[in-house]
Amino acid sequence: MNDRLSSGNSRLDEILSGGLLKNGINLIVGVPGSGKTILSQQFTFANATKEHPALYLSTLSEPLDKILRYGQGFKFFDATAIRDGRVIYEDIGPVLGEDGLDDVLVAIDGYLKHVRPGIVVVDSFRVFQAFATDVTHFRRFLYALTRRLTASATTSVWNAPYTRTQALEAAEFAVADGIIALDIKQIGEREMRVLQVLKLRGSSYKSGEHAYRISEDGFRVFPRLADSLDDSPYQLSDVHTATGIAAFDELLGNGGYWAGATTLIVGPSGIGKTLMGLHFIFRGASLNEPGIIATFQENQAQLERVAHSFGWSLEDPNVHVLHRSVVAMNIDEWVYELLDVVDQTGAKRIVVDSLVDLQSAAADPVRFKEWMFSLAQRCTRAGIGLMMIMEVTELFQLRQISEEGISHLADNVVLLQYVQEGPELVRALTILKTRAMRHRPVVHRFEITDKGFELGDALAVSR
Amino acid sequence: MLDIPASTLRAWEERYSMITPVRSEGSQRLYSRRQVEKLRFVKAQIDSGASAADAHRLLAEEARAGGVPAVLEGPPGDRRPLVLIAEKDTYASDLAEYFLRTDGYQVAIAVDATQAKLQFDERSPDVVIIDLLISGGAGFRLVSEFAQKGTSQILAVAAIDAAEEALRAGAAAFMRKPLESLQLVSTVRDLLGTSAIVRSKRNQTAEL
Repeated sequence: MNDRLSSGNSRLDEILSGGLLKNGINLIVGVPGSGKTILSQQFTFANATKEHPALYLSTLSEPLDKILRYGQGFKFFDATAIRDGRVIYEDIGPVLGEDGLDDVLVAIDGYLKHVRPGIVVVDSFRVFQAFATDVTHFRRFLYALTRRLTASATTSVWNAPYTRTQALEAAEFAVADGIIALDIKQIGEREMRVLQVLKLRGSSYKSGEHAYRISEDGFRVFPRLADSLDDSPYQLSDVHTATGIAAFDELLGNGGYWAGATTLIVGPSGIGKTLMGLHFIFRGASLNEPGIIATFQENQAQLERVAHSFGWSLEDPNVHVLHRSVVAMNIDEWVYELLDVVDQTGAKRIVVDSLVDLQSAAADPVRFKEWMFSLAQRCTRAGIGLMMIMEVTELFQLRQISEEGISHLADNVVLLQYVQEGPELVRALTILKTRAMRHRPVVHRFEITDKGFELGDALAVSR
Repeated sequence: MLDIPASTLRAWEERYSMITPVRSEGSQRLYSRRQVEKLRFVKAQIDSGASAADAHRLLAEEARAGGVPAVLEGPPGDRRPLVLIAEKDTYASDLAEYFLRTDGYQVAIAVDATQAKLQFDERSPDVVIIDLLISGGAGFRLVSEFAQKGTSQILAVAAIDAAEEALRAGAAAFMRKPLESLQLVSTVRDLLGTSAIVRSKRNQTAEL
């Protein structure tokens, strides 16, 4: 029922169930340098119109020229909006004279009548506290200001350099209709910017911390991937997706994995996990099912060389590579990039190489599991086959897969390992798990030849 | 003025809304000669021992008896359409008054149902803007009462979505608060347009 105004970032709107509260008081709190001014300006330019101009009031905390000078570097900044009177920058600092807060109220009264703004931004709000003789005075000022703003069709944004804890105790907290907190978290030696909604009257919102980034595009938020269990029915296809290894399709029974299944390939370094992934992707490509290879180790050139040695080419229009370094990477930011590529390409197959890299980029294991669950669920519902490659250090006789319960949510788990056969060391494949399919946990020998992965006979393993 | 502190004047204005000065461009309060008369009356009552509330009540009684006029009146022969705003929130009425006045209307303000009825009877406004939640929800009754008289166009307003109930009670239009200036002015203009048609039709029927 409550109308919204876009925050200027569609994913932040998603977190806020639509945007900032129209005609409400929206408080943006955050430590210095967290981007309060940038978010406020992005919002300002996204919503200002000729009929409902935006009034951007700077206070004594930062000179207006400085706000403008740095604001100009962003893509959302539009000088014509200022020229046309859609965005009006004013310095309310000089008004804060002897009578301080009362003068602010008089000035606001004047603006509401003469400018008739659809948006009023106060950057920053904290300076008003300094002009209050005591807490009661400040509260009375807040009440008087709120009454004025509530009576007019004006959406307010107030900035204040509070931490999340301070914000909860601030007098502004009580009168604000919506509160967004920005913070910079230290994780090991890395810094991570996180956004959290602390309050949103009359509405639900995506809880928890969401990563965000500031670039010349402005404020970009990556809502934490945390889908709740979706019980709504969806089309469970009885189609099978070929693995790209004919003998393996046979072994699985019905000619491959279930469409939309999540498969975990576990094994030590160099045994052929990536190769299994390539088979999966290039088989899909030949069936006109676009695929994405999401890799953190090999770049496009390195991967091309590997693919080429087996007769494939990354030039294939159905094959897309998403290569990112795990340095300073955030898993939520990455997953939106992946989902964007899925949208652009209509991908039906995804190979993630490797899960260990993703895990290292995640802040904590609980969060990672939740995230992985959401990604797997999204893929299943979209009928996208997700293959995750996981490296283990044991070369032989893997006793335990320590993957924080990921194999739990995988539909298929395939183990690749070395097995000693007499004096020889051979590669072996075992299907540990296939959901909704019968399989025999037999250990099969396999080899890597020019043609790729060649599955052989069952091994008679002697212990 | 009259040795009454400005803050007291403002408090009375907010509390009783009987002496509401117009504002200059610079937001200064300008009192008409009549309003100064009324203030002198109120001050005299207080000086002789009455409370501020009683003094205003006496002023209203005087007015009803034909004494000091209780409401702000424009210059004689003012043909500008009159809008009566029945609104408990003085900030909201102040803004609406300003938006309408600068668009060429005469405006009167009532802060409760009693005042609204009084002003309605005395001044027969062209448009009445009624906050449905005035005087604890008495706005609905006001709407039906005024609508039955059929002399004014009624615009109901409320912070909640009560369009259906308002229209059923007889309002010609409903707007959700806060009132946006352009929308308010254009709605009032539309309502006056309608009422002009209604009136001319009524006159035609009378002629037939």
